[in-house]
Amino acid sequence: MNAVFSIANTTVGEAIRRRVLLIILMIGVLLLSIVPSLGVLSARSESSVMIATMFFVLRFTSALIAIILTVYMIPNEIERRTIYTILSKPVQRWQFLLGKFFGAVLALAMMIGLMSLVMIVLFWVFRHPDIGKLFELGRQALLYFVEMSLLAAVAIFFSTFTTPLVNFFISIGLWLVGTVLNPLYETISQNNSNPIMQKVAQFATTLLPNFENFDTKNPIINPGSMIRNETVYYLQVTGYGLLYITILLIGGILIFDRREV
Amino acid sequence: MKRNPVLILVLCVCAVLQGVLHAFSIFPQWERDYSPGKGNVVQQLAPDQIFLSLFGFREFLAGILWVRADGFFDEGNYDAVLPIIRLCTLLDPKQIDVYATGMWHIGYNFTDEEQRSDRRYIPSALALGKEGAKNNPNTYEMFFETGWLWYHKVQDDFPKAVTWFEEAQRRNDIQPARRNLLVWAYQRAGEQQKSLNLLFSLYERAKERFDKNDAEYSNRQNRDTIEGNLDTMLVRMAQRGWFAQNTPEGKAGNWYATGAYDTKPPFDVGFSVKATVVEPKVIKLEGTWNVLPVGTRIKVILKDKDYPRGVPAGMDWDADNAVNLDPPKDITYMQDELYVRNRRFNKKVDMSRDPGMYPFTKQEYVLEFYYNPRIAPPHIQDKFGFDGSGMTDKNFLNTSIRQGERVIYASFPLTRDMIWRRGKWADKVPSIKTANYIETGKTSQTGQDDVLIDVPALRGK
Repeated sequence: MNAVFSIANTTVGEAIRRRVLLIILMIGVLLLSIVPSLGVLSARSESSVMIATMFFVLRFTSALIAIILTVYMIPNEIERRTIYTILSKPVQRWQFLLGKFFGAVLALAMMIGLMSLVMIVLFWVFRHPDIGKLFELGRQALLYFVEMSLLAAVAIFFSTFTTPLVNFFISIGLWLVGTVLNPLYETISQNNSNPIMQKVAQFATTLLPNFENFDTKNPIINPGSMIRNETVYYLQVTGYGLLYITILLIGGILIFDRREV
Repeated sequence: MKRNPVLILVLCVCAVLQGVLHAFSIFPQWERDYSPGKGNVVQQLAPDQIFLSLFGFREFLAGILWVRADGFFDEGNYDAVLPIIRLCTLLDPKQIDVYATGMWHIGYNFTDEEQRSDRRYIPSALALGKEGAKNNPNTYEMFFETGWLWYHKVQDDFPKAVTWFEEAQRRNDIQPARRNLLVWAYQRAGEQQKSLNLLFSLYERAKERFDKNDAEYSNRQNRDTIEGNLDTMLVRMAQRGWFAQNTPEGKAGNWYATGAYDTKPPFDVGFSVKATVVEPKVIKLEGTWNVLPVGTRIKVILKDKDYPRGVPAGMDWDADNAVNLDPPKDITYMQDELYVRNRRFNKKVDMSRDPGMYPFTKQEYVLEFYYNPRIAPPHIQDKFGFDGSGMTDKNFLNTSIRQGERVIYASFPLTRDMIWRRGKWADKVPSIKTANYIETGKTSQTGQDDVLIDVPALRGK
């Protein structure tokens, strides 16, 4: 496992040095900073608007970082031929892939952590909420972290056999589709009487990575909702994320292992 | 590592597990607790709006749009407000103000030149209320607002109002004074015992609040109001013979038959009417109603004979579950009220200036007159009783069109040619009257011959 950790460590260092990621991060933090001033433009409760918009910025920026961070990882190593140096050492391909993924996840943790901290501090400064509300914000940020780790796994999986540009569009497309899968299936199951359509929607919802599962912000935005078995849901959805990450990493390892580099 | 069967097996197991976990555990809870739109977001939004609705900007955008709608409202541009209301509710289904204001706007603000509401919109307004309540089940507001629309605007099918108000009562955040309305809804729905029981419990609750904090003026006011209402109701129930007819003692002692109650004997309202199409799409309505005290309002309805889901003197108001802000433009439904003064009513209903609201595209129509004592003012109910037991009409009393209710109902057929004054009616004045109508003067202003059609009364033959 030392090899995995070494590669992960190096990957984190590379990620921190990449200007494009830092610029996105800075834009994210900047956007978060101006969110408190937007509430006055809306007829809705300022707290609701503030939380919703902050989560939007956090989620969207994190998704961009996750994809841009990971789509180039393996293709760049191959293109620069640095992968030969690594694989010529006693490092297995699966260790290389896992190291890259864990490195990306660590870098994501740092960046999402920073943005979440900014978000929580700003919310505390402007709205003076109780500690429970701040805890809820932090918990949603953690779920977004799991979601972005899954998105990173998607991008890593596709980076084993596609070019970065294609991978970028596939990953972002899958993420966008994954965020509407649940509402789509919900709508079809409630309003469409065609059983074939319902089955197709159910199949797609069950098969594709479902990013909307990680979005639990509605009760935070709209206090008063009664949620049952909250902790169980968070544990299950985290388990779901880990299972899907495992699937994608195994798939990536199997493909990468057979690939000519 | 190549073709590693263990890895492939693990992959397959994980794939099955994630599917099972999602389908049987995560999705049901997500749908119940975390869904943003409760099943209508994807169906009714454009693709670009779907993404906005599912990200965090939806509340913000909905808020901005709602502020914009306010501007349109001030300008009187009501048509522009409708799509904004819909978009706001789809983007942010938790914004109760939009639902409540939207319902009121749809239900009340679309009127003709004479301020008659466009009733074709009412099912949509109710559907918006239903959707709002479904999306905001934890607060009383949308349940109350929907109940209020049934109670105040529809004024028909009061059990529906009761259902909604009861749902509102079950929510703890309901304002104390708003609990009181269910009392009157029960009464209009014919549930006097429930009405009385609720009033007693509301009084106890108000008294308790007052005892806890007697310095709060609203606590005192609420208690005093309920106490006054309770006193009045008990007196009225006694005088109208309700206790005599509905308590075991009253029934056993045959109180109603032997006692002198205000509702005895039933009073014949002597309804008669004459409708004259004085100009194309202008109908003059004259008639009699033998009740001298002011406060009688008789509903008059002119609608397509085959109006979708039409019922006598109304329609199935609850028919829509989907919000449709653009009701069919080829159907006609006019509803107005005839105010009785000095035992007569006389009103000219002009539908000629609103072709969009009254298109008259069908060949056959029905003109209906309807009076339900359940919505009569209390001083008239003192004679008629809660449910019309003190009211009768030898020609038009009807106990079948509203199950278990005594109402006055008369209906007449009209044709498109009569209303448009075309074809064989181009040079004649169509005039329809009940057999018991007594002329008090010339109704035709044109000098042409009136063609009177005698419609037999309900019990005329």
